[in-house]
Amino acid sequence: MSARVWLLIYAAALLAATLVHDPYWLGGTLLVAVIASGRDRWRLVRRTVCAVVMFNGVVSLGYALVAGLRGEFSPAYLLLINLRVLLMVYLGFWFVSRVNLLQALAFSPTLSFLATLACGQGLALKRMVDDYQQAFRSRNLEPPDMRTRLRHAATQGADLLDKALHGATETTQAMRSRGFFDDPA
Amino acid sequence: MHIPDGFISPQTYLPAYAVAGCAWVYAAQRVRQALGDETVPRLAVLTALVYALSLVMLPLPGGTSAHVLGVGLLALLFGVWTAFLAYSLVLALQALLFGAGGLTALPINALAMGLAGAAAAVGVYRLLAPRHETAAVALAAWGSVTVAALLIALVLGVQPLIASAPDGTPRFFPFGLAITLPAVVLPHLLLGVAEAALTVLVWRYAKTRGWLARSGDSPHAPHAPAAQSVPNEERQG
Repeated sequence: MSARVWLLIYAAALLAATLVHDPYWLGGTLLVAVIASGRDRWRLVRRTVCAVVMFNGVVSLGYALVAGLRGEFSPAYLLLINLRVLLMVYLGFWFVSRVNLLQALAFSPTLSFLATLACGQGLALKRMVDDYQQAFRSRNLEPPDMRTRLRHAATQGADLLDKALHGATETTQAMRSRGFFDDPA
Repeated sequence: MHIPDGFISPQTYLPAYAVAGCAWVYAAQRVRQALGDETVPRLAVLTALVYALSLVMLPLPGGTSAHVLGVGLLALLFGVWTAFLAYSLVLALQALLFGAGGLTALPINALAMGLAGAAAAVGVYRLLAPRHETAAVALAAWGSVTVAALLIALVLGVQPLIASAPDGTPRFFPFGLAITLPAVVLPHLLLGVAEAALTVLVWRYAKTRGWLARSGDSPHAPHAPAAQSVPNEERQG
């Protein structure tokens, strides 16, 4: 199946997961998805649990506390919401691990090009932020004060803007020189 | 501040997709008019910039930190529609490439943070800039964070009202407005102060670099032609 079909199936599965309110169906589907995802399953399960544990933990504990005090606690709700979130996040990681998004967007050359450029530039800027943060840590043996941290964050922001704007001009010029904007007619 | 997948009902995200879809089409037309040939590369780089800004840590009292939202800064520098498109793209790419966030929450996150946050920033800036520019920038950034948090809290808080079982048990996010408003908005009032301080510092730097009049969609140069998007120092030399 093509990447685009997988994208549509993934979107339909997400919609279905929000239309079903039976924990057994959601749990069963999650089990089927885990089994069907093959050798990657435990890595995906670990990623999923790590991704949801914080937000779901806070919501679940908060619900247990508030609903318990009001006498409205429903274990079925806790099961439903946690299974639904686990299923949707698991499907997301599975989709990401199996499908090349850029191929899925190939139906629109502009969208595909936009995504490719954004990913490439995003990785370059991310490396820059990592370098900044490592340099900052290595130059501060003691925890720096608020003012220093704010100035460091502002310097990163300013440099990111600088690099991004120059990157945009450079990319436009490169595209123009290769005839990207020329009328195909 | 992002809402993850699974907590928003289809009664909310399906209409939100319709609204966001119209806004994306309109924004794409506006940005294309303003930037011309540069639309794709500029938008791609600004999307990367939004992603990178979200990796910068905002210092908070007590040695803690939070991620920068950055939408106020983007809206002030590049305009509401450019900021909205870049923010939406980064949310979509994060969901589809890294599995972060989610497709069902995407239109709500995009409308709240990308559009309402950006519009609040530019609105506050336009209102206050004639009196005191630095205060206008700071309040614009603070306003963008606060408005986005307020909308997210409202959307989460109405879930029990619009998507509950017949016996009243919630099916999606369980807490009403009495809990979501203080829980989401109050911490963001403080985060907004840190974001405002950061935005002012970057803004000053942007001014010295001559960026403010560069974007056709920005609040400073609403009708600037696309050709002006070459950096000042490059045009000079």
